[in-house]
Amino acid sequence: MNKKKVYPQWFLILPLVLYIVFFLFPSLLGVFYSFTDWGRATPKNGLHFVGLKNYIDIFTSNKNYSNGIWNTLKFTLVSNVVKIIPALFLAIILFEGIRGMGAYRTVFYLPSIIPFVIIGIIFTSVLNFKNGMLNGALEAIGLGALKQKWLSDLNVVWKSIYMVDAWRGIGYVMTIFMTGLSTIDKSYYEAAKVDGANFWQRLWNVTLPMMRGAIMINLVFGVTYGLKVFDIVYVLTNGGPGHATEVMTTYSFQLYGAGSYGLATAFNAILLLITMVAGILIVRGMSRKGAA
Amino acid sequence: MKKLLSAVLCLLLAMSLLVAANAEGVVVEAVPNEGQFEGQELSILVSADWMADRYDETIARFEETYGVTVDLQTLPADQYFDVLTSGLANGTCADVFWIQSNPVGAIESMIGDPENRCIDFTGADWQNVMPESRQSACISGGKLYGLQVWNNSPEYVMLYNKTLFDELGLAVPTTYAELKDVCAKIAEQGITPWFMAGADGWRHQLAFFQIGGVYEEATPGLYDALNNNTATFAGNEKMLEVLGQFKELSDLGYFGEDWIGTDSTNQSNEFADRTVAMTIENSGTIKQIKDDTGTEDEFGLFLCPLGDNTWYTTSPAGPTMFGYKGTEHEDLVRAWFQFVCTPESLQEILDNSPKYTNLHVNVDIQQHWLPEEEAFIATVPAEKMECCVLQNGTKYTNDYWMQFGQDMIEYVQGGIDANEVLSRMDGYRAEAAANVGDPAWK
Repeated sequence: MNKKKVYPQWFLILPLVLYIVFFLFPSLLGVFYSFTDWGRATPKNGLHFVGLKNYIDIFTSNKNYSNGIWNTLKFTLVSNVVKIIPALFLAIILFEGIRGMGAYRTVFYLPSIIPFVIIGIIFTSVLNFKNGMLNGALEAIGLGALKQKWLSDLNVVWKSIYMVDAWRGIGYVMTIFMTGLSTIDKSYYEAAKVDGANFWQRLWNVTLPMMRGAIMINLVFGVTYGLKVFDIVYVLTNGGPGHATEVMTTYSFQLYGAGSYGLATAFNAILLLITMVAGILIVRGMSRKGAA
Repeated sequence: MKKLLSAVLCLLLAMSLLVAANAEGVVVEAVPNEGQFEGQELSILVSADWMADRYDETIARFEETYGVTVDLQTLPADQYFDVLTSGLANGTCADVFWIQSNPVGAIESMIGDPENRCIDFTGADWQNVMPESRQSACISGGKLYGLQVWNNSPEYVMLYNKTLFDELGLAVPTTYAELKDVCAKIAEQGITPWFMAGADGWRHQLAFFQIGGVYEEATPGLYDALNNNTATFAGNEKMLEVLGQFKELSDLGYFGEDWIGTDSTNQSNEFADRTVAMTIENSGTIKQIKDDTGTEDEFGLFLCPLGDNTWYTTSPAGPTMFGYKGTEHEDLVRAWFQFVCTPESLQEILDNSPKYTNLHVNVDIQQHWLPEEEAFIATVPAEKMECCVLQNGTKYTNDYWMQFGQDMIEYVQGGIDANEVLSRMDGYRAEAAANVGDPAWK
């Protein structure tokens, strides 16, 4: 007899309490503080309600805070594109069973376990205009004309960040795709081949629909990572040159450091809102497609 | 009143510059070791370059003397303050931390609530190790919180390769026009005229702030007005002129091809290799360049000529050490401060400081003044030393050093205009004033 075991609902109480205490409550408290003048001297001067002032400051200040919001959204979009598409093809190529697959898998995955601080040290050195390895290599192979001020030229700096971020993240995304690929039954491909489907047709009609789960996981992880991006920007440019690569979290971090906690939490509240909306949209969108 | 106080402090500092060594002979003894600290750990949070290697031997002796370990957490300058304030706010600060303190409210604005965040050292044996001008940067609300052991060398003036200048037949520039002319001649030789390490994040601002005397001279009473919130940076003609000159030098390539992406790690070699000719630096760097590279070239110092500056502003400020009130080892922290102030430790710290030639302390130690420093000081009339650097003579300015540096770069790269840079500083200062409830900004 097939007995379906149902666990009692009180099993949920502990995780729910932990979630409320360590996530929900601090998040709501942060939203509350974003409507106050919470600052370094609040213990001395008291806390005052300031309405929407912090939010208005973010969008109207001459310090260009709103550019941080735009940069965050741009990073979220581009960084996912430059990671997800190559990672998908890498996963497919490796899954086809090329020789040394295990080694390639390790090599691609390895950067994702390197701490950001180390990545910062390595790449600020590699990308140095004058003494960096990248410009040195370009010079050595006769491509000196392609030398760039990788981290200080306004037209190049974001590309450098995307490049380093992709180098670090592709292996991780690829691993999730490979897990997704392993769940697809080979018979679908065999049937498609019998029907004369070429590689692209198999990709479009078999692989991608069957990998919806893996794609959704990568999208949700990628979008939330992109919206919350901090480390990679902080260690490579610290928001520079000037404020060109400031994102919401670097501004929030700076404001927190400067003692403007109310304003910093307003930034975080906006980030929380955007992340929630993006998460809900992705999950809903993918679920609908799944149902269709 | 603040202006008078600043002037008095600066005068004290300037006078002490003219005296080669302090010989008042305050003697502090280390806390006796009775095994009371055995096995404890002292954590120290510091920005890069504030302790550098110069405390290593003293730390090792401290560990050995008391059977303790010291966890030295050195952070890059551009990340330090954010980490410190986070630690102070959430109660996870190291036992000992540093800030760049000054006598015009740095303790209040950077630490926020010193009474609840800092150990009160009032009455400590070591207070008078510091000259009075330094003590003023360590006291808040009448209580002693900090220890400032810093040098009194000519700070952040123009350092140049004298031999190279002589060979090229160049005279030291005294005006902006002369500076530009000198830069052009140096650049013709394929040498970067002015080494500017923009990637450090904190250096390039010095050219603007260290010449505070020109701003005060152009608008008498400016410091006072800025401190009372009756004047602004924005619209200040002299400041706009200096920023414009800075940008012009950058546009002409006189700071090097990629100064914004260049840091100072290779500075000594650049000087020794003669790929650069000048920079804005401490006088002790002369000693460091020679020690690091063994170059035979001679170096000298002159006043930064931006804004046709003739002022050698002084700075009764510097990196200052504080004890965190939330520490679990308050007695160990007190013992550390005491230990640092013993003559043996102070001599050790100075001897291990390739960049510094003296310590501004009331302790009879062997100072190492350079002839170049003495020669430079002799060129500046005493009355031209009676003004503070802008960042430490005006409230809340130094707190936004890094942001101002970012704004300068944004300006140089064409993102904003010069007045916007100044206007943002007004905004930052207003934020800081609001954060501490300064009545002048209400």
